Amino acid sequence: MKTVITMAAALALLAPGCARNDNAVVLNDWNFGGRPRLIEWLRTRVTSFESAHPGVRVVQSQKSWNMIRELLYADYSAGTGPDVVNVHANYAAEFGGAGYYYPINTFPDFEQVKRWYVPCMMESTRYGENYYGLPSSAIAFVLVCNKELFDREGIAPPRTWSEFRAAARRLTKDTDGDGVIDQYGLVLLGGDRGGFAYRLIPFFFKAGARAMTDDLKTVTFNSPEGVEALQLIADMYQVDHSVTPGFLAYTLTEINDLFCSNRVAMSIEGPWFRGMVDDKSPGKKFYTVPVPVPDDRIGAYDTASTLQDMVMYAINARTAHPEQAWELIKYLRNEEADMAWIREDLGATATTRSALASPEASALGDLPLYVHEAQHAIAWPAHPKMIAIASDIFTPYAEKAIVGEMTPREAMDQATREAQELIEGKR
Amino acid sequence: MRRSLPYLLLAPALLFTAFVLCYPLAQNLVNSVREVDLVHGPGRWNGLANYRHVFADREFWLALRNTAGYALGGTLMALGLGLALALLLDRTTAHSAPFVTCLLSLPWVISPVVAGFAWKWLLNDHFGILNAWLSAAGIVGPGTSWLGNPRTALLCVMAARAWQFYPFAMVMFLAGLESIPAEQYEAASVDGASALRRFLAITLPNLRPVSSVLLLLGIIWSFNDFTMVFVMTRGGPIDASMVLPVLVREFSFVHFDLGKGSALSIVIFAVLVLLSGLYLRVLAGRERA
Repeated sequence: MKTVITMAAALALLAPGCARNDNAVVLNDWNFGGRPRLIEWLRTRVTSFESAHPGVRVVQSQKSWNMIRELLYADYSAGTGPDVVNVHANYAAEFGGAGYYYPINTFPDFEQVKRWYVPCMMESTRYGENYYGLPSSAIAFVLVCNKELFDREGIAPPRTWSEFRAAARRLTKDTDGDGVIDQYGLVLLGGDRGGFAYRLIPFFFKAGARAMTDDLKTVTFNSPEGVEALQLIADMYQVDHSVTPGFLAYTLTEINDLFCSNRVAMSIEGPWFRGMVDDKSPGKKFYTVPVPVPDDRIGAYDTASTLQDMVMYAINARTAHPEQAWELIKYLRNEEADMAWIREDLGATATTRSALASPEASALGDLPLYVHEAQHAIAWPAHPKMIAIASDIFTPYAEKAIVGEMTPREAMDQATREAQELIEGKR
Repeated sequence: MRRSLPYLLLAPALLFTAFVLCYPLAQNLVNSVREVDLVHGPGRWNGLANYRHVFADREFWLALRNTAGYALGGTLMALGLGLALALLLDRTTAHSAPFVTCLLSLPWVISPVVAGFAWKWLLNDHFGILNAWLSAAGIVGPGTSWLGNPRTALLCVMAARAWQFYPFAMVMFLAGLESIPAEQYEAASVDGASALRRFLAITLPNLRPVSSVLLLLGIIWSFNDFTMVFVMTRGGPIDASMVLPVLVREFSFVHFDLGKGSALSIVIFAVLVLLSGLYLRVLAGRERA
């Protein structure tokens, strides 16, 4: 009996070793966020990559966007980071600048690969002289309007701030006649510091404000246009009461619930929203339009910049297998793979020229708008401290201004002062 | 060999403790007196500069005040609830009493992460059951935001903490109540003491040792509690529920200033050592009594 047990134990220990090719190169691939459909597609794609590259095995891990910076910093600094990772393209400045990402422009076929992508999207992955990733999903922040509520009121999606404010006021109402407001014009993502900044800054950009000067030396949150943008949202919250009172606690889940249950009419979102709404409330319709502009900039409605975010596939600078990692990210993001973004609606905007020029792309709902907005959009300034500034300085002060703890001017002056100190190394 | 055997047997446990407790603590202490940036790694020694930066940070004082309120408030709430339920259970003679005790003890065994998310949904302004009940009773208006309001967020987290801690208090109080000699109550009844008088003159004094132990334990555990606050509010809205353990995370893994984060965690450690010393003294006094 003892012999049988010993042999069984030995076999159990040997079995995993026999199942895989011991000489295979193992690549760790971390995937942040994404809808179930995208995750499933990535699994299939990786399996197909492994079949095409018998000497390479890919270990995929699914992680949460919420902890992305903490996870990456902890692992990179410990030298255990993944070989391949999909991250915000603006991490090119923070992580690429810190030497954590591999400059992919050093690969011999880079110039040829670069031509696959829409130039402005490819440029989002650049920091200094180097490119640190291949564009994966383009994101332009837009205004989504609950079609059912808008149609019920007989109003069109707003184009200017006046129309936006008026629409939000009109859509804020007591629907069941019990004397209590149960439907609001606008919802904000106050419970997620990063997410909040990404949704508020489009109003700044549309007004012509910028987060920093082009030389990345001066923070400019407190420009008159920026203060004016913040004043708009503060007035909607404090004067019109057309913003959900509990927004400071909301994450994306609550926003989706409120939107799908017709409790809110508008939100600032991106290409992921369609899938989220479909999952929660199949068939629910909404308008996707550019974020409104100040009344005096209506002439620039079609070209005024919103915030562009981009997800990219990057390679760990310390990977032992850069060539194989490069092959993997090319395989995940080549023109053929990019068509899946369009055909299978994976919750993001395609980034290659050929996919975006395909007949399928022009027939896909709001994709043309997202592409148009992405082409005029601007990203967060490529400063290594920018994401920390947006989340930890800009957001809390902007939230204080919206709920009335500070005036927009005071809040943005203070945020600018603190952010300036941070980039000058005084904090 | 016989003399060294006990030490040999203890060695694995001591080595394990040294590895998981002493080494991180020592490393933390070292990090607290030098510049440690997660991006660039350990830098130069900077003496007490990290501590000075911690004490100069307004967020530290806000978090300290919140932590004190959270620890004391949450523990007092739990003790009050635990005592009330223990008194009820102590008086009941029904066969179902052990079952009810088990049922009431459930919050203690639920993972704080699960409890935090459950409370978050209970308190949801539009879909939460608490709001539905309170607004149906006319106590608050529908859509009242609890976690999104800087004035109520910390109170809510405190209530959730009390909900998690009360079963422990209840069981301890129950044990304390069962150890009070019945003769004391009988004598008081013969003397005509009212129920309230008996509670104040007999029950409470007899429960004092248990209460002080519970109070200190509750404060120590709450002072160090990260999970409930992080899951429910992440220290928000606008830092209204920021507590020290969450601030350590902010310094270390959001601002990536591990030196400052380490200094703050050493400050928390010092406070906890003081409180633990007090706890041990109370415990020793109780043993002597």
